[in-house]
Amino acid sequence: MSGDADNPAPAGGNAGQVWFRAIGVRHGEIWIAAVLAAAGLVFGWQALLLDFGTLALPGPGFIPLVLSLATIALGGIIGVREWLRADSGETVELGHRDVLIVFAAMLAVPLLFEPLGAYVTLGLFGAVLLVLVARSSLVIAVVSAVAAMAACWYFFQVALGLQLPVGDVLERIVR
Amino acid sequence: MTGFDQVVNGFAIALSWQGLLYCFIGCLWGTVVGVLPGLGPLAGMTLLLPLTFHQPPEIGIIMLTGIFYGAMYGGSTTSILVRIPGEAASRGGRAGPALMVAAVGSFVGGTVSIVGLMLITPPLAKVMIAIGPSVQVVLLLLALSVIAVVSAGSRLKTTIMMVLGLLLTAIGLDHLDGVPRLTFGNTTLAGGLSFTSLAIGLFGISEILINLEKTELIKAIQPKFRDLIPRMKDVRDAAPAIGRASVIGFIFGIIPGVSHVVSTFVSYAVEKRFSRHPEEFGHGAIAGVAGPETANNAVTGTAMIPLLALGIPSIPATALLLSALTIHGVQPGPLLLTDHPEVFWSLVASMYIGNVILLILNLPLVGIFVNLLRIPYSWLVPIILIVSVIGVYSVAFSAADIWLMVISGGAGYVLRKFGYEMAPLLLAFVLGDRLEENLRLALTMSGGSYATFADHASLIVLTSVLGLLLAVQALAWVFGYRKSVADEAEGA
Repeated sequence: MSGDADNPAPAGGNAGQVWFRAIGVRHGEIWIAAVLAAAGLVFGWQALLLDFGTLALPGPGFIPLVLSLATIALGGIIGVREWLRADSGETVELGHRDVLIVFAAMLAVPLLFEPLGAYVTLGLFGAVLLVLVARSSLVIAVVSAVAAMAACWYFFQVALGLQLPVGDVLERIVR
Repeated sequence: MTGFDQVVNGFAIALSWQGLLYCFIGCLWGTVVGVLPGLGPLAGMTLLLPLTFHQPPEIGIIMLTGIFYGAMYGGSTTSILVRIPGEAASRGGRAGPALMVAAVGSFVGGTVSIVGLMLITPPLAKVMIAIGPSVQVVLLLLALSVIAVVSAGSRLKTTIMMVLGLLLTAIGLDHLDGVPRLTFGNTTLAGGLSFTSLAIGLFGISEILINLEKTELIKAIQPKFRDLIPRMKDVRDAAPAIGRASVIGFIFGIIPGVSHVVSTFVSYAVEKRFSRHPEEFGHGAIAGVAGPETANNAVTGTAMIPLLALGIPSIPATALLLSALTIHGVQPGPLLLTDHPEVFWSLVASMYIGNVILLILNLPLVGIFVNLLRIPYSWLVPIILIVSVIGVYSVAFSAADIWLMVISGGAGYVLRKFGYEMAPLLLAFVLGDRLEENLRLALTMSGGSYATFADHASLIVLTSVLGLLLAVQALAWVFGYRKSVADEAEGA
């Protein structure tokens, strides 16, 4: 006898696909190769500021410069190869609604983590994701976020002794 | 302390209440992260890394390793009850016996690999203890070359990822001269990039973002305990497959990069070739489950050999173990058995115990683990991300590490969508420091002569390791492994 355990997620559904943007594989590959080569260029410029030493006795700038040049060369090869390749019409879809929301919310976390404190920031983060990605009601999201933060506080702060930031704002209020 | 005393001491640590508790926590959490889609051993280990900070290194490593092999067990459960790469026992109505066979196979494969770990590591470490920086450079370059060669994706993309990993590891203070490098004048970057942030970002966060795009419903079968008992024919089919796969997993575990994936595919191909009914493969053949699942778990012990004997991690999960040991002030490598024998022997002992714990956890309690698949993924995402943020922050108490995690997560998401693998980047990042340090040290010691890299000892090491790896790789090709396995390699 076997029963079925259905997982109604990963979330997204058709609503998420509205935000999708199909990027041609060839174009995407060229862009990524260009970005990697540009990163190599920037690191190479930084490496040039260091002592190169000699080939026999390398200085601190030797390896970074060699690796930067390798990154530029490999990025160039990938980019040129893709440029010369005939477009197959293949696409990669980027920009799913939920992906964008989660990523945007994650970008806010390091910004707010120390000024607002770990628990307030992560509580807000959790609540936002529950409302926008899990599509739960605001009340359920807030209650869940508060409960999750209480559990985190107990586990990390009390049980493990980790001192997470309480936030400048809260600290000022307490003082 | 004699060698025998060290072994006894190791078992005493593993059998202490702390050892048993942390081994159990590791195995339990490993099974959970293995069962849940979108998590894997690497993310699982990173999330519980802070838990080890207040423990002695041997206890911390027992737990983290438990998560590593526990996740392999858990992954088997999901692959049988949801889908199996290349196999469809669940569709053939044989999910219960398949689960039992996979659990027993995993136990046997895991145990064989621990015996190998126990027998090979001490003598190998003894040989390696005498090697100088030039041989270390040769070994490290060899490890990186093998990753590039065995990679299933584009070799060019793998190479650029490795070069990028080596470049990223150069950020921070130069170890030999103390000069800040590639920091753009930012003092936060002087300490270098955090491995944990990079690992969680590239593997964990990118995996979550990719999974968020998937809209299909996951259906999992929930077998009862009595459904697990196999028929006599199943036992006859599975036993030789388990034996063969234990050897395959053990041998392939040594390959850096994608060892568990290669061993799984090779084992499947071998079983299909040995089977009298190859047409049943893909329609519920029990040997098609027993082989790959056994091989998958047999690599766990072998994958620890390069880490513990040479200090070279072969897969991202062992790279995290290296990072964790370093945080605790323990340097894996040839000196580990001399300086910290208790860490090695308690780890070996705990792996035996952990295998038994997993067998018990994964059979009677399988229904509980399957229930985890009922939790909506969109509810799991905030939980996983919150714990990731706290885990990353707690390593160095720096918000910059959260930035790194988020940025590398976004970059990893885009790169993976275009077929770039993250494992080569991460392994190169871990090995880069030692590679540069030994390269410059060897050149300084030899007065700038590159001939030092072709001395007698280097050539012996190079030839023997290269020969072994070529033979293993040739076997893999003979048995038909050539298929894009990049995605499956991620997260291991």
